Amino acid sequence: MQIRDYIIRRLLVLPVLIIGTSIIVFALTRIGGSPIGIYLSHEMNPAEVQEMKERFHLDKPVPVQYFYWIKGVTQGDLGWSGVASAPVVDVFPKKFAATMELAIAAGIVAVSLGIALGTFAGARRNKLADHIIRVVSVSGASMPLFWFAILLLIIFWVWLGWFPIGRSDPNLFEAIPHPTGFYTIDALLAGNFAAFRDAVWHLIMPAVALGYGATAIIARMMRSSLIEELQEDYVDAAKAKGLAERVVLKKHARRNALIPTVTVIGLTFGFLLQGTVVAEIIFRWPGLGRWMASAVLRGDQATIMTYVMFTSILFLIVNLVVDIIYANLDRRVVLGE
Amino acid sequence: MSPDTAYTSDSLSENLIASVTDLKVYFQSKQGMVHSVDGVSFDIVDGEMMGLVGETGCGKSVTARSFMQLIQTPPGVLAGGKILFKSQKNCNKCNGSRCVACSKTGKNILDLLSLSESQIRELRGERIAMIFQDPGKALNPGLTIRTQLAEVFQEHRENDVFKKAGITNNLDGINGYLLKKYIRQELNLITKLMLKFPPFSGFRKKVDKAIDGLVTEALAETQIPNPNKIMERYPHELSGGMKQRVMIAQAIACNPDLLIADEPTTALDVTVQARVLDLIKDLQKRHQTSVLYISHDLSLVRRICDRVAVMYAGKIVETGDAEIIFNNPKHPYTQGLIKALPSMTHERGKLEAIEGMVPELINPKSGCRFASRCKQKKSNCENNDPELKVLSNKDKSHKVSCFLYE
Repeated sequence: MQIRDYIIRRLLVLPVLIIGTSIIVFALTRIGGSPIGIYLSHEMNPAEVQEMKERFHLDKPVPVQYFYWIKGVTQGDLGWSGVASAPVVDVFPKKFAATMELAIAAGIVAVSLGIALGTFAGARRNKLADHIIRVVSVSGASMPLFWFAILLLIIFWVWLGWFPIGRSDPNLFEAIPHPTGFYTIDALLAGNFAAFRDAVWHLIMPAVALGYGATAIIARMMRSSLIEELQEDYVDAAKAKGLAERVVLKKHARRNALIPTVTVIGLTFGFLLQGTVVAEIIFRWPGLGRWMASAVLRGDQATIMTYVMFTSILFLIVNLVVDIIYANLDRRVVLGE
Repeated sequence: MSPDTAYTSDSLSENLIASVTDLKVYFQSKQGMVHSVDGVSFDIVDGEMMGLVGETGCGKSVTARSFMQLIQTPPGVLAGGKILFKSQKNCNKCNGSRCVACSKTGKNILDLLSLSESQIRELRGERIAMIFQDPGKALNPGLTIRTQLAEVFQEHRENDVFKKAGITNNLDGINGYLLKKYIRQELNLITKLMLKFPPFSGFRKKVDKAIDGLVTEALAETQIPNPNKIMERYPHELSGGMKQRVMIAQAIACNPDLLIADEPTTALDVTVQARVLDLIKDLQKRHQTSVLYISHDLSLVRRICDRVAVMYAGKIVETGDAEIIFNNPKHPYTQGLIKALPSMTHERGKLEAIEGMVPELINPKSGCRFASRCKQKKSNCENNDPELKVLSNKDKSHKVSCFLYE
């Protein structure tokens, strides 16, 4: 099957998957009990409590509540966030964009650095460079994120003062419009180079901290699969054609070594989203992290459901992209079977 | 690189294209040094088919790969010996500017083992080519047949490609720079992008078309039907026989002096084997290529080879004219092998097997390697190494390494 047909087919299935996900998300959240607590205060009398229940349709059976939720979602009403004391839809998009920007930046760091380091180490197996990269990646895989993040904070913010924390310099960003919510892209769209530089500068430290663990995993996967590929006959055959070592490595071996690595890359994306909570709190990044942590602790179900829904949809999309890249690399894969 | 450093003062007799002298290739292992190839010597006569026969693990493939420096070091160790090689043809690459692959230099005898990486690369695929045992593994599963075959032309036939594309006059300045980078696969992101847009994209398309033409011709040479369609396929979409034809096309694309065929039919179905074999023989005759044919299959080697060397446990035990070796084998191992072959002329009955096992090649002791399995063993066989010696003055090419004939 053609890749284009496959993508269209997968996109057509996507709404079905999203509906399924929404049912699961709703059911799992409601298992934690009725969300009424977050809307009440101590001063309310029973009649007022009953009124609140009716206002949020919590007096109806749970399946009916699901349809009320879905109805609200399709009309752009994601519910009331007790933690933020505001409608979810007012607060969510901005913070979600901030979190996404951080996660994507960390993903770029992890993928590019992981593949580069893994290739470098695999091609120089058991030499000094390989040993150094091994130390780097073992520590990356074993250091807890919160500890490594604080370490970076102390060294590069407190001691050296090279990188700032927070998300941006407010003086620069108040002046430009925010059509996407991604500060780097907004700055580029506005053509404001100083703002772009500032956004990138703020992004580097949290992105590196967050991406380090994934970098380590990708690098190790890349190294071992490259070493495996370099033993293959086709590598010798490529050399026997008179090709330069560089071409044999980059065009022949690395391409096939990427196949198992791409699968791992897809999986590490979840790892990154999960890490944003910690990274955001440490680097004072104005994303979903802190809000989400208190939402979970206080049972703010509207917020939790929105977050889980959006990350699930993202996961579906990332998986689709990974499958497409996979099929592009491994020609033996028959798409759609 | 100065071309003169590559040449040796050794001479090679007129009729030979290559000569292996006392080749020793060892491998490091945890148990000790594995003497995979331990003093192998044989000659390859120009334009002939030389068979190298032996059982699995006797060092045939290691010997073959040594010709191209394809042994990984470490764990491999080149412990000694020489492989002299004489380039026969004028080379299309350097246009007479004395490259390593070229006989225009006059002094054209090279020691393949002492060449530098860049020097051996000039020979690989251009003067010496190799066909691998399993075509399913020797082709990259992720690249089309065209891409893989094109690399040979891109590496060794740059001028031909430009000539065929008719753009030899447009190679000045940035245009030539980009196209040469394109052919040599040295593009980076920016130059790749530049070639996607006019005015460069037009030239790139011409170059692509020229390469397409060369690839089609090479595939047609091996009697592949519909080469235009086949070249757009991926290896897994082709049958085993087809893949081996692609490998052969790739190997003979530059019309090499020496073709090394490392068990090219072992991984194929019996019916396909015969056709691939005929193809190799036919190509060898038409192009006057010398072939080193490696196999464990004696009857097959007898069918196509002019001369044979029999290898056992890292050493050559007997070498000579194919007919003489098969009709009048001298070494007990060769005799055993031939007795183990079913034959139309002999009586029906049980085939004779050689008793015992191949000896360990880790730190071997001196003495004939075959002694433990030999039925005609004498007292000095266990402790002394027999030398490969000419049997009689009548036929100087027939050599045996056995104390029975001393």
